[in-house]
Amino acid sequence: MTLPDSSAPTLVVRRTIPFPRERVFDAWLDPKRLAQFMRPASGRQAIVEVDPKAGGKFRIAMLHPKSPPDGTVHTGEYLLIERPSRLVFTWISPSTEQRATTVTVDFIERPGGTEIVLTHVALPPKQIEGHRAGWTEILGLLERLTL
Amino acid sequence: MPMILDHRLDHIYAAIADPTRRAIIDLLVRGETTVGELAGRFPMSFNGVSKHVKVLERAGLLTRRVSGREHWVALRPAPLADAAHWLDHYRAFWGTRLAALEQMLIDEDAAKPRPRARRTVRRK
Repeated sequence: MTLPDSSAPTLVVRRTIPFPRERVFDAWLDPKRLAQFMRPASGRQAIVEVDPKAGGKFRIAMLHPKSPPDGTVHTGEYLLIERPSRLVFTWISPSTEQRATTVTVDFIERPGGTEIVLTHVALPPKQIEGHRAGWTEILGLLERLTL
Repeated sequence: MPMILDHRLDHIYAAIADPTRRAIIDLLVRGETTVGELAGRFPMSFNGVSKHVKVLERAGLLTRRVSGREHWVALRPAPLADAAHWLDHYRAFWGTRLAALEQMLIDEDAAKPRPRARRTVRRK
């Protein structure tokens, strides 16, 4: 499944880290490791359940002092698991108003490590369309507005 | 968190996807104008431009006021600003998570017991 430019709000975050792809990829599907790096900065811990297969679901409860007793809950479903190169899942949380958004994580082999490229689109997977982006241009326009 | 993922989003995305409509938004950034004035800038009929303006209006991206015979339209950036906030939020969120992932792997390696240096034992 390719993820084309979208006309929905889309962000891309990249980071290159000095570890092999397999290890970086596996951290995303291992409940203990996922709980570790999903822990909120201000929080005590994250509690994670993972069913690591296509169609399987995950649940991440982030506990911190200000959240309700069960924590802030993030859920989703794995759409594609292609070890060690690509992971696609839906992401649903209070910050997405409990609507499905789509996250694609690509793991690219680089000298000495792995480049992680994370794309988050504010649409459920079936609604992501294949035409050229409008959002980058539009947000550029917004900046002009606020100047 | 602003309401950007509601049912109007389909309209907004469809509105933004068209290059003529993006060009109209670009023009409106500079300020309010009339539909007639907009139509003069595109190689299409007045009705063609008017249809594009209606799509943008239905998406909540512009407002219209009628003054005599003229229809003045202005950009309504709130839905776009909401989207920009959403992007900022998740850019920060994922940026922090990826940094935490790296640190976690570093810490895992640091916690591993170091292999002991081999000692050669000479036997007679």
